[in-house]
Amino acid sequence: CKKDYLNRPPLTGITTDNFYKSGSDLRLATATLYAQPWAGWNNFPLLGIGDIMSGNMLQPYNADLVQFTSFSITPQNSYLAQSWTSFYDVVAHCNINIKAINTKMPDSVAVKSKTGALGEIKFIRATSYFYLAQLWGAVPIIEDNDKLIANPLVPRHKLTDVYKFIINDLRYAVANLPKTDQPGRVTTWSAQGMLAKVYLTRAGLGQNGSRNQSDLDSAAYYAGSVCNTSGLTLLPSYYNLFRTQFNDNPESLFAFQWAPGVGYGQGNAIQTQFAPSSSLVTGGGGWGGAIGPTIDLANQYTTQDSVRRKATFMLTGDKYPELNAAGGGYTATGVNVKKHVVGTAADNNSPTMDLWSSIEHNAVLRLADVYLIYAEALLGNNASTTNAIALQYFNAVRTRAGVDKVTMLTPDVIMNERRIELAFEGQYWFDLVRLSYYNPQKAISIIRVQITPTNSQNNSMPRTQFSYDPATGIKTPAANSLIFTPPSINTFTLPIPANDQTADPKLLEAPVPYY
Amino acid sequence: QSIKITGKITSADNNQPLPGVTIKVKDSPTGTLSGADGSYTINAKNGDVLVFSFISYVTQQIYVGSSAVINVTLKPSTNDLSEVVVIGYGTRKRSDLTGSISSVTAADIAKSQPTTIDQALQGRAAGVIVQQVSGQPGGDVNVQIRGLGGFVGSPPLYVIDGVQIPPNGQSAIPGNGTNPLSSINPSDIASIDVLKDASATAIYGSQASNGVIIITTKKGTAGPPLISYDGYQGWQKLPKYYDVMDLRQYATFMNEKGVIIGYDMRPQFANPQYLGVGTNWQKALFRTAPMLNHNLSISGGDARTRYYISGTYFSQQGIALGSDFKRTSVKANIDNKTTNWLKVGINLNMAHVAENVTTSNTGVINQALNQTPDVAVVNPDGTWGGNDPNIYGATGTNPFAIATIVKDFKSRYQLFSNAYAEIQFTQDLTLRNEVAGNFDFATEDYFNPSYVMGAYSKTTNSGTATSAQNFYNSISNYLTYQHTFAKKYWVNVVAGHEAQLLKSNGVSATRTNFASNNVQTISTGDATTATNTGVKGQGALEAYFGRANFTYDDRYLLTATVRHDGSSKFSEANRWNTTYSGALAWKINHESFLKGVKAINDLKLRLGYGLVNNQNIAEYAYGSTLNTISTGLSGNSQITVTTGNPNIKWETTKSYNVGLDAAVLSGRISFSADAYYRKTNNLLLSLTMPYYSGTFPAGGYSPGAVQAPYVNIGAVSNKGFEFTLSTQNIKSKDFNWNSNITFTRNINKVLQLVDGTPAINGQVSKTVVGRSIGEFYGYQTLGIYKNAADFTKYPALSQNGSGAIPITPGTGGVWVGDVIFKDINGDGKIDANDQTFLGSPLPKFQYGINNSFNYKNFDLNVFMTGEYGNKIYNQLKVNGDNPNQNFGYFPSVLNFAKIGLIDPAGSTSDINNVYITNPSTNITRISQSSGNDNQRFSDKYIESGSFLKCKSIALGYNFSNNLLNKIKLRSLRVYVNVTNVFTITKYTGYDPEIGSWNPLQAGIDNGYYAQPRVYTVGLNVSLNN
Repeated sequence: CKKDYLNRPPLTGITTDNFYKSGSDLRLATATLYAQPWAGWNNFPLLGIGDIMSGNMLQPYNADLVQFTSFSITPQNSYLAQSWTSFYDVVAHCNINIKAINTKMPDSVAVKSKTGALGEIKFIRATSYFYLAQLWGAVPIIEDNDKLIANPLVPRHKLTDVYKFIINDLRYAVANLPKTDQPGRVTTWSAQGMLAKVYLTRAGLGQNGSRNQSDLDSAAYYAGSVCNTSGLTLLPSYYNLFRTQFNDNPESLFAFQWAPGVGYGQGNAIQTQFAPSSSLVTGGGGWGGAIGPTIDLANQYTTQDSVRRKATFMLTGDKYPELNAAGGGYTATGVNVKKHVVGTAADNNSPTMDLWSSIEHNAVLRLADVYLIYAEALLGNNASTTNAIALQYFNAVRTRAGVDKVTMLTPDVIMNERRIELAFEGQYWFDLVRLSYYNPQKAISIIRVQITPTNSQNNSMPRTQFSYDPATGIKTPAANSLIFTPPSINTFTLPIPANDQTADPKLLEAPVPYY
Repeated sequence: QSIKITGKITSADNNQPLPGVTIKVKDSPTGTLSGADGSYTINAKNGDVLVFSFISYVTQQIYVGSSAVINVTLKPSTNDLSEVVVIGYGTRKRSDLTGSISSVTAADIAKSQPTTIDQALQGRAAGVIVQQVSGQPGGDVNVQIRGLGGFVGSPPLYVIDGVQIPPNGQSAIPGNGTNPLSSINPSDIASIDVLKDASATAIYGSQASNGVIIITTKKGTAGPPLISYDGYQGWQKLPKYYDVMDLRQYATFMNEKGVIIGYDMRPQFANPQYLGVGTNWQKALFRTAPMLNHNLSISGGDARTRYYISGTYFSQQGIALGSDFKRTSVKANIDNKTTNWLKVGINLNMAHVAENVTTSNTGVINQALNQTPDVAVVNPDGTWGGNDPNIYGATGTNPFAIATIVKDFKSRYQLFSNAYAEIQFTQDLTLRNEVAGNFDFATEDYFNPSYVMGAYSKTTNSGTATSAQNFYNSISNYLTYQHTFAKKYWVNVVAGHEAQLLKSNGVSATRTNFASNNVQTISTGDATTATNTGVKGQGALEAYFGRANFTYDDRYLLTATVRHDGSSKFSEANRWNTTYSGALAWKINHESFLKGVKAINDLKLRLGYGLVNNQNIAEYAYGSTLNTISTGLSGNSQITVTTGNPNIKWETTKSYNVGLDAAVLSGRISFSADAYYRKTNNLLLSLTMPYYSGTFPAGGYSPGAVQAPYVNIGAVSNKGFEFTLSTQNIKSKDFNWNSNITFTRNINKVLQLVDGTPAINGQVSKTVVGRSIGEFYGYQTLGIYKNAADFTKYPALSQNGSGAIPITPGTGGVWVGDVIFKDINGDGKIDANDQTFLGSPLPKFQYGINNSFNYKNFDLNVFMTGEYGNKIYNQLKVNGDNPNQNFGYFPSVLNFAKIGLIDPAGSTSDINNVYITNPSTNITRISQSSGNDNQRFSDKYIESGSFLKCKSIALGYNFSNNLLNKIKLRSLRVYVNVTNVFTITKYTGYDPEIGSWNPLQAGIDNGYYAQPRVYTVGLNVSLNN
């Protein structure tokens, strides 16, 4: 036979050798990074860690989720592994693409195409490492997955180096991403907002009581740049932020780009897991009947704060005409999750949307978050501030929600505003972690209060679910027989998943420098 | 000067006349067949040689002298040394073999009535371990020759009439226990030859490192047509039912559980003694299932052309609802001696296989053991029974309904063909050209309807239609030169070239929202929900090969083989590789010092060594590939799905073999024993890496991750010993008793894993250097905590390193009635480091014992097979023995750990006041909130898998020729068979014979489809011409 008889490249797939040939190939490659690899994190852990562990939400039956509520998280916890895997999957795809762009792209492709794509990829890689750093502290930094073939066992790297790595990636993204792009794609504003958040978080790392002023200044600089010069504005309606008709609205700086009909494990399954009724989800699902907010969260909302409340969770009797519209709308029969519940395929005019593939493009970073970051950075190490710019952006968030402006900012005011504004978006836990970096006692005490019984008669405590009587408006906390592991500084660092502890004993050793 | 020679042919074992014997004049086209009374007539010249041959009898050659009457007695050929063995690109007499080859004949196959050909090998060929992977009709079988040669299964290469079925050769739509070899009709098979050592397999090179199974189908013989019919009807049953709770037991248990947990008693359970037995879901799911086989064949020929044509219809219902199998096949083998120098021929096999695989695909056997007895199969109003929606956690399916209404139907048309032309240049030199093809066209119809089964409902129906094709082609050309020099030096040399090409493609379409569950055509689904996928694949192999055989004085035999293979699976740098082997044999009985010893008929020592290569990985493993997936960003995107390893290279196996064949006392005792050592280096495996690598191993599922690269990961060895012993225990005019015993012992050991890979982890197994592949790995248990004293002896230990687990009956605590896990490393906590090896799913040895008896016209065959020393993970016990589940239970759960109070007025949460009142139990307490993780994988669920199974008993009666002559029949045999008659085992599940393709997930019983017991009656009849 001829020599090429044995050359049999695949007929189905594209190969690394014949892809990465043009700018449009790059757009196809980077589009992937906005969705599928994040699915494992998005499905349960996003809310399980972000809101359940922080005491905003509770699921009393799912043993792995109960571990997040009671701080008895074992390395075997499946959501732990799922999150860790998901973040590192994202990293792997980023690394593969960066390497291909650097080694396989022909010179004919415009430099701007390459650097723009690298900017997107590095933004996403940094976001993934940011999650890893906040949840696990020191983690392995992996930049070239091919090297793992020969040498699969890596050490953890120092947390300061992980943050340095994240900031390097984001600074590249800030410099190389465009000011505008197709809706849904990240821009330099996305990168600047994320960089502000990273600086704000790192500002407390290794500090005691106060934060590093230079990092606070950097946070204020980048957040200010987004607030003052991007030209972006808040979406007028808070409620609409969480409707699919408003996917990728100008307020969204980075949102997962979920597609319908992609199958199990590949799309947005939050609605399936958290919606309280199967009538809300096409094709089955709606398994969240037992899930709801804690009374602690519900008590943070003033009567005036009804828009954000109703967009975040349902109280018994609440009506949502746009959900299951064909069935006459949905009336809540209990106290359950609303945010991420977007209704049936028909409600969203998306025929292939099924239980595993909600088309909600849930935001990882939105402008209101950056407004609050800006205010927090400007407040800095002060006990309070009346800085006009800080108040301007802070009150923009409140005004949009229909609540009164404040005249003075304190750390507690900002913390509480963030908790309400971003509730059920998987954010509050990270606010507590940020606090724990420089003021662990305060972070611990916030949790301790949540698990201290308020009424010894029925053993109720802030971290418990409640029932609601629409006739009287009375919230009755549920009895809680959970046994809590007392919070400590260790509470703010998750155990490394059992699988990787076993596979790589080096992860149990002290972290080593990366740089 | 031709003379007319007549005579009568009889069988040596019973002196009965033998009809149908082929009589040929050697080196001439003249031939005939013996008649019903064994008589024949043929014209031959003085000095000619007459050759008398008959299947399963020793061929005899007799010189024609002056006598015109030649009566012949033919000897049955149990382990016959003149039997011809197929060795790949040629044949050899068994007595001239230098390699290790086991054979199974058509007569053996007829006795065991296998549904598929691989089943016919079980226990009959030493060194070959055969385990049924699924008892579903047409279900797959795991075949291992001389141990596990790797971490991903070690299937042999099948060669069917020259058509190679690669080791991972699958049906175009694989899965759900489907057997790619099920399209071949076992009754068309003339012989199965198993090539075991490197000297035998090297000629097949790159695909043969785990052995070769050569299947040869029946051919016609010169003579008048032989018309035969084989037919049988069988009835199959589940041999054993699990003991599960009946309704009374269940109600009693649920009442006790309700008291402990504190939920309301169900009113209908108020008086368990008045309840009926409820639903036994196994009885609902399993049935007595019929099977039916008709096979008609016509064979014959003349001096120039020989033919064998057969047609078969086989139909088998599964013992579990939702499974059945139908095969319709046509076979035609035609050989033609066109001219003195040219022979041509073709083997054709066309088959249609239609099977329902709903049972396996939906896992209903497991569900039948999970569903509770209070649920009706069908409600009085005709709706499907299901769990009461008002009871928390009870959301099981109705397995009977699922098996009935879910459709998973596979249909496949397969065409096998091998055409050849053989040119004889001289007496000694021939060129053979073969063109082989294997074409597989398969479809699968899957429909999952919408339904309501109590609390379990499905509101949307969905359907998937899949269509796929595999095309395999090969072209082989080889020259054979054969000559005897100086009457003592015999030489046979083969040299050739071969090219193989595999192409595959398939499409699949899915829709949901069908207007009706009854109209299931894909186009009736909601068009806006349509999704589809398509795949295409290709691969190629090319090889140059040669083999030389030398024999000196019929005493010393030498075989040398070399093959140079190229495979598309490797990058250009690593594409080509060489396989070689050599073997020596010494026929000791032909030495002068043994010539006079009449008692020894055969004594041969064999020595062999070889190096064989393997390419058992996915195509294009050296490069990375991307798939198209949708995202919310303008639709399509490209995602990397596999990572390539440009350095991936061939896996190599070195093997050593020493064997001894002997036959003594006129062949009444014969045996063959082999000892071997195989070492496989550069083992190919898709890596299992830590999660932070962003990868998952090939065959796994982890959306968003990338399939890990294949690497050459390590080395594994198999050493073993095998023997076959055949004896004619009683030999007389009316009564004969023959025995045949096979024994296989194999020791598997991982020798090396590449740097950085401490272990290969399976679901419940761990593979490390120094142990065998896939050993179970988990926790050891020390019973349950019975009282406060036990907590002094076995302190409640930290489960995760964050402080000791509290001793409390509340959430997250440990209490009396929880399992004591052993702190193996004594570090004061129970964690992953306290897991240990709990046994191997690999048998220490496997054996087969076959006894056949003849008394006058009766024949009886009893075949037993067994395994010893393997362990099974009885996964059904994890739920079945767990009182805290909400679904089905084994009655053992009634004996859950019951907590009593020492001082009845004292505290229930004071550890010093509680004890277990039934301390001998091994079932845990009832608690929804124990923090002890009682159900984690531990030795509680490991059982011995040793068994001795009576595989078949067959009793037949041959009608006498006197009678048959009157009704113009050549032969008539009627028989009754029972297969899977009984099993002696300690295993508590359905069946300890649990095969698996994946050695890292072997020995796991999770609702295994048990092999049925089958009762069959049948007849074989052949007509007189």
